[in-house]
Amino acid sequence: MSSANLIRVALGAYLLIFFSYLLGPLVVMSLTAFNSASFPAVSPWACFSYEWFEVLFNDKHIRDGIYYSVVIGIGTVILSVSMGLAASIVLTQVWPKLRSTYYTMIIAPILIPGVVLGISTLVFWDRVGAFLGVSDGSLLHGLFHNGIFLTILGQSTFIASYTMLVFVARLQRFDTDLTEAALDLGATHTQAFRKVLLPFMRPAIASASVLAFLASFENYNTTTFTILEYKTLTTVLAQKVRLGINPSISSLAFIIIVLTIFAALAFEAANRNKDRKLAAAQGRGVTQKSGILPSFLTGNPAAVVLVLLAFMVIVMVGTAQRYSPEACKIAVREAKQIEIQKRIDALKETRRQKEDAKAAQQPSNAAPATPNNSSAFGNVFAPGNLSGDAPEQKVDEPEPQSGTGAFGNVFAPDNLSSD
Amino acid sequence: MKKPMIFSQFFKNNGAVMGSALIGLVAFWLIFLIILPQLSMLDYSFRYNLPPAEVGGPKDVYTLSNYEHLIYGSDSSHQTYNTVDLKVFMRTILAAMLVTIFNIFLCYPLAYFLGQSKGSGFVRLLVVLLIIPYWINEILRAFALRIIFGDSGLLNEALMFLHLTSAPIDFIRQDIALYAGLGYAYILLMLFPMYNVIESLDRNQIEAARDMGASWLHIHRRIVIPYAKPGIVSGATMVFMLSAGALAAPQILGGPSSLWFTQLVYQWFNDSLNWQQGAAYAIVLLVSTIVIVLTVMRVFKVNMGDIGK
Amino acid sequence: MSSGVAVDLENITIRFGDFTAVKDANVNINGGDFFSFLGPSGCGKTTILRAVSGFLDPSEGRVLIGGKDMAGIGPNKRPTALIFQNLALFPLMKVWENIAFSMEVAGASAGERRKRADELLDMIALGGQGDKLPSELSGGQKQRVAIARALCANPDVLLLDEPLSALDLKLRQHMRTELREIQKRVGITFIYITHDQGEALTMSDNVAVMKAGVIEQIDTGHHIYDDPSTPFVASFVGENNVFRGKVKSINGANAVISTNRSGDLLSRITPAQVGKMQVGDDAMMFIRPEALELAPTDAASETTITANVMNEEFEGNSFSVFLEGDGGKMIKMSVPNLGQDHISARGENLSLRYDASNAVAMPAGELASE
Ligand SMILES: Nc1ncnc2c1ncn2[C@@H]1O[C@H](COP(=O)(O)OP(=O)(O)OP(=O)(O)O)[C@@H](O)[C@H]1O
Ligand SMILES: [Mg+2]
Repeated sequence: MSSANLIRVALGAYLLIFFSYLLGPLVVMSLTAFNSASFPAVSPWACFSYEWFEVLFNDKHIRDGIYYSVVIGIGTVILSVSMGLAASIVLTQVWPKLRSTYYTMIIAPILIPGVVLGISTLVFWDRVGAFLGVSDGSLLHGLFHNGIFLTILGQSTFIASYTMLVFVARLQRFDTDLTEAALDLGATHTQAFRKVLLPFMRPAIASASVLAFLASFENYNTTTFTILEYKTLTTVLAQKVRLGINPSISSLAFIIIVLTIFAALAFEAANRNKDRKLAAAQGRGVTQKSGILPSFLTGNPAAVVLVLLAFMVIVMVGTAQRYSPEACKIAVREAKQIEIQKRIDALKETRRQKEDAKAAQQPSNAAPATPNNSSAFGNVFAPGNLSGDAPEQKVDEPEPQSGTGAFGNVFAPDNLSSD
Repeated sequence: MKKPMIFSQFFKNNGAVMGSALIGLVAFWLIFLIILPQLSMLDYSFRYNLPPAEVGGPKDVYTLSNYEHLIYGSDSSHQTYNTVDLKVFMRTILAAMLVTIFNIFLCYPLAYFLGQSKGSGFVRLLVVLLIIPYWINEILRAFALRIIFGDSGLLNEALMFLHLTSAPIDFIRQDIALYAGLGYAYILLMLFPMYNVIESLDRNQIEAARDMGASWLHIHRRIVIPYAKPGIVSGATMVFMLSAGALAAPQILGGPSSLWFTQLVYQWFNDSLNWQQGAAYAIVLLVSTIVIVLTVMRVFKVNMGDIGK
Repeated sequence: MSSGVAVDLENITIRFGDFTAVKDANVNINGGDFFSFLGPSGCGKTTILRAVSGFLDPSEGRVLIGGKDMAGIGPNKRPTALIFQNLALFPLMKVWENIAFSMEVAGASAGERRKRADELLDMIALGGQGDKLPSELSGGQKQRVAIARALCANPDVLLLDEPLSALDLKLRQHMRTELREIQKRVGITFIYITHDQGEALTMSDNVAVMKAGVIEQIDTGHHIYDDPSTPFVASFVGENNVFRGKVKSINGANAVISTNRSGDLLSRITPAQVGKMQVGDDAMMFIRPEALELAPTDAASETTITANVMNEEFEGNSFSVFLEGDGGKMIKMSVPNLGQDHISARGENLSLRYDASNAVAMPAGELASE
């Protein structure tokens, strides 16, 4: 009895830890997108703000990166889906003794480190150019040293293995008699492929395309070698993150996360809907006559969440047009300045004490009361503000005991509740 | 005599147009994207880094110097061995193994839980939740961890707030962030193969064992784990290969001094512009990881066909 | 409507690697015939059909359709249409699209296709069901759609690979008649594959019986049943009591077989073997259960067998009596049900007689299955 309970508690705790590890960082990152502080953080919370989205949308590098990522993604989808499909069809026909060798070869790219794939692609096409003796500036030379061309080839090398796996799974359920039936009825091989096999493979082609596009879009290891003078979103991001981070990256992450959730929910909702339709078609479906909600929503939590989420996004975009964090920012700046003023005062106080002590000629008693600047933000903001406008606020305002504590400032701005 | 027969049968089955298209695509992939690039990288790794004018000239001969460099270092260095690079190499391999083992332990309970409680709404929700981080960019995931592990990141703030530490801990320099990030990056590639296999395990087997009085631990040791072995090895293979070959996580989460082997490769290519040297390092990485994976697969008697399921 | 075209297989041998699936088959099928291949599972029936339809090339020999050598002509160019063992209806196409598929690939307009499909749907009594998907049809309906789809291609030869095997008994009997009717109506050559002898015998003009890649006999259903030319055919088609022994004497088309356990028995020599048997040869003699009848106990002749009743089963239109003869020889007798309560009592010693013209003798050989 109690051991079963213990297991249940342990399982709950474990699930909690696992999902915190998995999702926590993403949640934190998303939150930092809305903090006006110039360093991505949730604490101290400065102001609720959309400004990083603006920074993001105005960032030309990121826009370019997205553009090339999409171009490369499309190219990779086309190439890897065709190669994966061809390879999976050949797999069903290949001579049995050759099959396992063949399978090993087409699955191997999944296991080759992306870095190695990038390098080998780069080196090989450089060699091909040299071998063909194409001169600098010629069309082929340009092609073999074109970052987009090389990246599509490099990525397709392993992404085709992924698509191949998707196709193999689907092909296992294909009845080859259907192709023969088509041929027997006078279809050419191409017609049989187009009219019989291809429609059957369509769902698999769709999911393989999505998979390939996403894999291409988020690839870094291979791309960073093959992209040469171009940029993709990932290489831009990597560069930005390495050079110094700011919350506009968080805001990009937030957008991607929301899109991913959208896609996942839409997929789930569509699946549910299909399941229910199937059940209904088989005559054991639930009676569908809910008056208020469209039938798509009833008994489909994913769809409900999806609609709610869409609503939230609309609200967010709507408020983003109106909302201005300026008031808050000023308040924060003021708070900061109070803080600084206090420190200055404290400094002055110590100095005065020291002087007093000196005056009293009791050097042995002097306490070196240096202010404790344990917070990184304190340091970050201190220099600019110290030299900036002079502090002139009411010093008697109540303050949290530790201005740099983890949650010290979270409650300061009232805007938080508007979220 | 037999091979042409096979080809003619293939073209008979697929027609001239479709047959050529299929063969053409597969051949392009196998030859121009897989085999020849790897071979040319291998070839490259045995050559000197010469200025363009001398390529193909009398100085362009094969050499082991690029590999010697990894072991003995450059001539000008004072040490007998290239301790820096060798250390990085060993650290990469060992850390990738550790990350893999960590992932196995972390994922197994969840894979079992998900795999055996079929179809409930809660489980479906969990699966959706799992898929979401799967499609977030590797870089962004590393970035998220950096926000948490940074000097003034959430974790340090929390620790200090709780007075568990007085000064921020440098998670990045301590490599804690890197290991957490690597574990984080590929955790789902461990989870899903395990989950897929365990899902196909007949519940009755477990119940039969329980009926016969087998303990909880015994059931896992004798029934579930042997059954899930292909999934575990497949997941472990992927995680190990990807961790050892990771570049983004070390670049973003690694401290300034703690290099990952892929970063050395990257430096040879992009900073030193010595492709030959970089190719040699890449070959070392490729061969050693593959040898390790094949050894593990042989030890655990798992086939190549189980990978990628 | 195209009229039937002859199909000839000349010395066809088909190998898969080292395995010979069909060995030296010679078959001449007349135009407009309903021709069946009958044989146990795995004997090479489908393989022959695939060679006719062009999915595989015979390793040796020629396939002629309408006198024309088909070598090098692909399945999509041959005037044949195949109905697959599992029907192979296209699951994602509507019924009418399935039926008119051959017109679609030939480039016919949607209107034309629909019109022709509707005609064929009417013919197979599925009018108005053209917009369904195949998965929404019953087994028998799918069957008919497959036939219509094949007929829509206007083939000269229709090839059917056990098309009724998935149906239940009643539907199967119904479809037999229907198929035969369709064949008569369209007048094209049907090549039909089955391992159900009832199907082969009732429908076909001619039947080829196959055993392990070899064609044992080609004949009308009647002859296959009454004059089997090999022990395999005799034992595979219908039920038979087999008696092994040696040829004791030959008198024209008759022979006396000295059987191992049942004494000397007189029999007709099967037509194909007349003149080919020698005295002293190993021989087999077959008597069908329904050819046996009760005889007076004391009758002792070369057409009488004595045996003890083991068991009796009532089968509706007949009684099956199982007897044990000398040396444990098992014999089955079938007696028509004419209103008797029973035929015999257990343990009773009976004399059975038969007409020598109803027994067939032939050189010993392999039986269908023992
Ligand atoms: N593609 C092939 N490769 C190798 N052997 C084959 C092939 N096709 C058929 N065979 C073999 O040839 C023999 C005949 O097969 P076939 O399909 O013609 O049998 P069948 O008479 O149609 O049987 P069934 O009544 O069960 O359909 C079988 O032993 C089968 O295993
Ligand atoms: Mg067959």
